[in-house]
Amino acid sequence: MSKILEQLATAIIEGDIDNTPKLVQKALDEGLEPLSILNDGMVMGMNEVGRRFKAGEMFVPEVLMSAEAMQAGLKILRPLLVSSGAKLLGKVIMATVQGDLHDIGKNLVGMMCEGAGFEVIDLGFDVPAERIVQAVKEHKPDIVGLSALLTTTMRQMAYTIKALEEAGLRDKVKVMVGGAPVDAEFAKKIGADGYGSNAAAGAELAKKLVGAA
Amino acid sequence: MEVHKVNYEVNATPTLQILTEDEIEAIYFSSLRVLEETGVRCYNPEGVDILHAHGAHVEDKNLVKVPSWMVERARSTLPKKVTVVGMPDKDGKRKYRMDLVKNSAYWGTGSDTPYTIDPYTLKRRRSTYQDVKNLAIIAEALPNIDFFMSLGITQDTAVGTYDRWQYLAMLEGTNKPINITAVDVEGLRDQLEMAYIRLGGKEEWKKAPAFSLYIEPVSPLSHDPIVIGKLLFCCDNDIPFVYTPCPQAGATAPCTLAGVLVQALTESLFGIVLSQLRKPGAQVIIGGLLSQMDMQTTVMAYGSPEMALLSAAYTDITKWLMVPMYNTSGCSDAKMFDEQAAMEATLNTFIAGLIGGNMIHDVGYIESGLTSSPDMLVACDEIIGMVKRFLQGIPVTRETVPLETIDQVGPGGHYLGTDHTLRHFKTEFWKPVLMDRLDWDRWVKAGSKPMRERVHQRVLEILQAEREPLFDEKMYKELRRICELADERHKGEEMGIGIV
Repeated sequence: MSKILEQLATAIIEGDIDNTPKLVQKALDEGLEPLSILNDGMVMGMNEVGRRFKAGEMFVPEVLMSAEAMQAGLKILRPLLVSSGAKLLGKVIMATVQGDLHDIGKNLVGMMCEGAGFEVIDLGFDVPAERIVQAVKEHKPDIVGLSALLTTTMRQMAYTIKALEEAGLRDKVKVMVGGAPVDAEFAKKIGADGYGSNAAAGAELAKKLVGAA
Repeated sequence: MEVHKVNYEVNATPTLQILTEDEIEAIYFSSLRVLEETGVRCYNPEGVDILHAHGAHVEDKNLVKVPSWMVERARSTLPKKVTVVGMPDKDGKRKYRMDLVKNSAYWGTGSDTPYTIDPYTLKRRRSTYQDVKNLAIIAEALPNIDFFMSLGITQDTAVGTYDRWQYLAMLEGTNKPINITAVDVEGLRDQLEMAYIRLGGKEEWKKAPAFSLYIEPVSPLSHDPIVIGKLLFCCDNDIPFVYTPCPQAGATAPCTLAGVLVQALTESLFGIVLSQLRKPGAQVIIGGLLSQMDMQTTVMAYGSPEMALLSAAYTDITKWLMVPMYNTSGCSDAKMFDEQAAMEATLNTFIAGLIGGNMIHDVGYIESGLTSSPDMLVACDEIIGMVKRFLQGIPVTRETVPLETIDQVGPGGHYLGTDHTLRHFKTEFWKPVLMDRLDWDRWVKAGSKPMRERVHQRVLEILQAEREPLFDEKMYKELRRICELADERHKGEEMGIGIV
């Protein structure tokens, strides 16, 4: 690995939001390929973050800083990668469903997905099915992530999936669901494509759903 | 007895204090500043209008900034004591009573877990009507459980009207005071109607409410429109309500425990102000499940020492404010009733008792509040028993310092046959129900059962014991009718996606 890629990986691990874009720019100036900068530098760093998190050597706030650094670097890289025709991980729309104000879980999954390299569009909380359908039409995401904390709002996940079906969009996106009262069985019952029991599992699932893991 | 003749100070009970008065004031005035300068989001337009009409500043449609004088004024009409009395027995007497006031401790269960541990298979699964009823039956049988919350959501009934069925299941199981949950105002109204029926009329409710309502602000600093609707309904109908957040330090609240206290107090003070504007004298209980997000797992910790410490510190604040406290104990992050569950529950139950109550909920919670456990509930009853004994302290009086008896027995004798022993041995010692104090041989003969087995056996004994229904068939039908009418009104909303 070249020195600059090594530095970039370290910047990601350290969650260095200021330095990461600078290092990305420096790598580009040195003539490195955007895809190599991503995969051999940033993703290497993020993989190490994942390993350390699992081993209990890094904690959530640090992982989120790394995810932010990742996004700061991707801001520069993404347009170059797109124009070079490289395949990116894709877009995720995240929402806490209608009637539910609890969004910490949704936020965590969104940030973890950003760390994995996804572009994340966060629709916020208390989001009605129609707004999600509208956002899918507008942003053409690969994945829609739905979150709920209450059993009464869990139903909104089913309503949303049905609304996506009715709009003819269901086969265009994968739907993943999560939240404290949700489980794999419920996800299956309402026709979701997957369930994540925690934020890291959510990001892993997102990768799986786009065929990247 | 050798005592000082003057300036003799006694400790009638053990004492615990986390915060000094200066620290409490620092937190209180910080909360006032957050409420006045940062403000809170209130997504209920009626609530916003009330606050605005009485002096609060409103920006950006729903960002409400409440001046300190409004809080001070609200406190002047806020009841210092809230009383909830259970349902009548066959003789018409309502014998279970909670007087929630400074330094009084009442223990009860927690509410609305998606899962429960099946008492017969010991498998974790979605909770049902029968589970709620069973757990209420267990709570009814346990002497140290003073109130009940639905240890499980009824998920084999319609999702949108589960609350009425859940209340019915609880009423079938226990006459103790209940802290209910409600889907919305309509669900709350239906349950109030059910309570009137069960009590034999609205007048009985006026004497003393038979349930309180559990509602939450959403941390940080947000107030749900439906929840505020329920709060206003409670004020209008003399229903005491618990308005307490579940902030997670480091995630939905500041990472420091003092920061959590400030934010939680701000969230509850908002509820106090709104309630007292709606109806001076409205009965509010504050407190919460104050804890942290575990930075490794992202789980909200229920068994952490920080949870116990925060609850105790917050109780100091509520004592200073003179408002009833909603405390937390008897809960754990363990996945079953095991050694971890026992350790965590013992610590938090002990602390909640020592600090002085008041309405101590979540007894029987495992898996960080996602699962209820009959075994945990029964074991905690024993823990509470030990704690209550501890709280009685050591009275030092002429009777308890028996100089004459000591002189009588003298060196080398024994106390087994003395009048003094006969007078005290039944009341001085706490009597275990489940704790084992057998000698080895007798323990082996009794089956060499570890605690876990003895606890579970007690669960089964309670569930298998014969019991009379708490009310007759006619009453049951009347109560059930309200549930069925609600289902009828909401037919078609379920889309066939019942959870169980």
